[in-house]
Amino acid sequence: MSLPPFANEPILELRRAGPRQALLDALAAVDARLPLRVPVLVGSEARAGDALTSTDPGDPERVVAHAAAATAADVDAALDAAARGFARWRAVPAAERAAALLRAAAWLRDRRTEVAALEVRECAKPWPEADADVCEAIDFLEYYARGAIALEEGRPLLQVPGEHNELRYVPRGVTAVIAPWNFPVAIPMGMTAAALAAGNAAVLKPAEQSPACGHVVVQALRAGGVPDEAVALLPGDGSAGAALARDPRVQTIAFTGSAPVGLEILRTAADTREGQRHLKRVVAELGGKNCVLVDSDADLDEAVPGIVHSAFDYAGQKCSAAARVLVHEAIADALIERLSGAVEALETGQAGTFGTDVPPVIEREAQERVDRYAQRAAADGRIVARGERPPGGWFCAPVVAADLDPGSPVLREEIFGPVLAVDRVRDMDAAVAAVQSLPFALTGGLYARNPRTVEAVAAQLPVGNLYVNRSTTGAMVGRQPFGGNRLSGTGTKAGGPDYLLSFVEPRVITHNTVRHGLVV
Amino acid sequence: MADARVEVGDPALEEEIRRVGGALAAAFPSAARHPLKALDSRAMDLAAADEELRAALFRFVDVAPACRSLDDLAAHLSGFLDEVGDKPPPIAAAMRMADTGAGRKALGAAAAAGVRHMAHRFIVAETPHAARHLVRRLWHQGVATSVDLLGEATVTAAEADGYAARCADALERLAAIHEDLPHRLHLERDRHGPIPRPNLSVKVSALTPLLRPDAPERGMRDAGARLRELLRHARRLHAHLHIDMESLDSREAVTDLVLALLADDEFRDGPSAGVVLQAYLRDSPQLAERFIGWAGATPRAAPLVVRLVKGAYWDHETVEALQHGWPTPVFDVKADCDRNFEALTVRLLEACRDGAPLRLAVASHNLRSVSHAIAVNRRLGGGDRDLELQVLRGLGDDLQDALATSGFRVRVYCPVGDLVAGMAYLVRRLLENTSNESFLHEQARGIPLEEMLRAP
Repeated sequence: MSLPPFANEPILELRRAGPRQALLDALAAVDARLPLRVPVLVGSEARAGDALTSTDPGDPERVVAHAAAATAADVDAALDAAARGFARWRAVPAAERAAALLRAAAWLRDRRTEVAALEVRECAKPWPEADADVCEAIDFLEYYARGAIALEEGRPLLQVPGEHNELRYVPRGVTAVIAPWNFPVAIPMGMTAAALAAGNAAVLKPAEQSPACGHVVVQALRAGGVPDEAVALLPGDGSAGAALARDPRVQTIAFTGSAPVGLEILRTAADTREGQRHLKRVVAELGGKNCVLVDSDADLDEAVPGIVHSAFDYAGQKCSAAARVLVHEAIADALIERLSGAVEALETGQAGTFGTDVPPVIEREAQERVDRYAQRAAADGRIVARGERPPGGWFCAPVVAADLDPGSPVLREEIFGPVLAVDRVRDMDAAVAAVQSLPFALTGGLYARNPRTVEAVAAQLPVGNLYVNRSTTGAMVGRQPFGGNRLSGTGTKAGGPDYLLSFVEPRVITHNTVRHGLVV
Repeated sequence: MADARVEVGDPALEEEIRRVGGALAAAFPSAARHPLKALDSRAMDLAAADEELRAALFRFVDVAPACRSLDDLAAHLSGFLDEVGDKPPPIAAAMRMADTGAGRKALGAAAAAGVRHMAHRFIVAETPHAARHLVRRLWHQGVATSVDLLGEATVTAAEADGYAARCADALERLAAIHEDLPHRLHLERDRHGPIPRPNLSVKVSALTPLLRPDAPERGMRDAGARLRELLRHARRLHAHLHIDMESLDSREAVTDLVLALLADDEFRDGPSAGVVLQAYLRDSPQLAERFIGWAGATPRAAPLVVRLVKGAYWDHETVEALQHGWPTPVFDVKADCDRNFEALTVRLLEACRDGAPLRLAVASHNLRSVSHAIAVNRRLGGGDRDLELQVLRGLGDDLQDALATSGFRVRVYCPVGDLVAGMAYLVRRLLENTSNESFLHEQARGIPLEEMLRAP
């Protein structure tokens, strides 16, 4: 099978009225179907239930979905089914697996406005980002489909007379996918599609906040032709994820979420259980405390909007979001003044309203956590800008704090909300040192125009993704393979050329081709 | 003549275009009158000849105002030049200078002077008040102006208020500057009646921090309040207010806002105001129809001025579309854009002929486009004074002289502001100047007149 080269799915041109109206229509259609029903899907069985409920963060009275919550028995059944599904799916040639993923992409493409609308409701993802999330899910399917075909070629090895060497990649087995709610279709789809592309079976445990979005992922894959037994849906809370991580039938765990949960998964995975004959592999993408460095020669016309987008889009609920600005002291006052004015101009509001800059955060607990950090920032420094907080949903006012006490937790801990801290630094060397002292290394930003400074910073920052003179979010599949280092993750790069390698085992087969002294 | 039609490729029209273009070319000032510009042109040629060098020089010009010292300037310059593969001898010499402290200072000073010199070619003064001598001198020479206030991007409400206040002040200043100037009939009257002397161009993106491509109504609401005040000022001062068009991201907001405000009863008696039509946009003919329809349906004392331009954001629109996988909204081929420019010229002039309350201002440095507009206007029975021609300060100076001495109404778009705030503008103009396809470049290369006047 020869496929056209990968290209990113175009996002909707929302500067035109037509596509905007299409989304609003889709939202009305989704609203008319609420609440949705999300079952546990294991093999050909669907177990309905309503132990889990997802609500609209912008209007917590509105129920988006009633979902079954996976029990220990569901987990057990899913892993049994996955073992059967794996035996079948691994035997499917890569080109056919790829074709199934491409059909899943087409299925999603046909429903993109509807799925974006669901993200608006279930996760309060504002329109441009909900649309981008669906596109990213499509991109993962298209990209990993091509990757599966390439992977089947193996890698070339040295060959000498009388010997034939072959390096091939084989799937590892059953992959447990434990996914977050903040990219509610793209991230679970990316991890699940990668596992499936490489020939593994997958069991998806979506975030408890976004079961309906998780359901879409499994629907798309099954509609594309992935066998029911090769991909299961286990909606549920943390206990279902923990049960999966613990189970000896799981070979690979793909996790995206918070650092504490990720570390717990790594510890659990290291423990070999009774009857376990393999070492589990963990692919983890964890938190960040992402810094944007601003040198004295930065163009503030670009830096200010770039920082605002990086820190406050989706209310800062992206692992890639900017949390700190380290600005050269020569322009710090100008930056703080303009940044403050820009943040005060932000509109906090409903995700489904075009033009909303800051939507509500995902749930009450998140709102309380953000409020605590905002209070701490006020105590440890000064609040230089605070936006509006509308009534109703789980809204948080966007906040900019400056001149914080160097020991403040606001400067070190991941807040995952619309709180940005600005520090002054003597120069970019001092800024680099500040980043070096952090435990996280996910994304970084740099606004500077001297090419030597850019190169010096790029050479020293430990981050997985550095963005120069642009915002730090919005990594594109195939263009900005994404993932962090240090405590931010296992160094894997989603949407990059090496990602599938985490889901396979390399095997080398060497043939002796000499027989009776002759090379045959 | 009143019922005359304009057909593409009509031999008589082409003949008229050649006659107009030939006369204008003959009226161009000789290079000897602009020794400084000849010098600039050589620098531009050097930059245009080498992509890497051009990129390095643009990046340097762009960052120069943000540099804190001569040393810092020299460090940036040598940093950019470092990335140029084959360095012409003067560049290699500059790089060697950067190796010593004294050399860096000298290099920084020379570079700063170079950037200042270049900026002054395109940015006329720091304030409207400081531009008064130029504005008055041009008027005496038979040339009208439109002043544009350069500024940093508006990201806060305070900045939007600041820009609006600067605009209000500029209107006052321009009114005062023009008050006691002698009459220049061809600059102040056409068949519709009087044409205001003070003329200010404003940008909606500078009047609000809330322009969002996906939510035009947000920016409209916020900018609307400030623009309404400016329209009141302009009406009181009998000044013309022209609302610039920017990138496609803000087109819906700008168009809807301006047409809604001008249709308001409050502004029925004034001020004179205008909009911009960008011919590089594939869908510009639809917008032209909207302007024509709006003008016909909206009774106002002053006709709507439509400034027809090719458009200054071609690279931006192209890159943005490519990055997002969208069809490019602009013509990819220059000849297609030029043809569309001519078609829009014809359409708008026909609408004027048919009685639409419109004034057309053709803003181009392309001798063919300008000659075409003049010829079409004549063919449709319009007087030369019923057509306005516009040029950019620093880029269309020679054409401006030729048009003025030939008796046409020419208006120079004069950016005013400080170097830091004007940088984005300056870099865009430099790009335009060194673009291989630009008319100025062709002119500089000595392309025969016949070829320059050929139909696109």
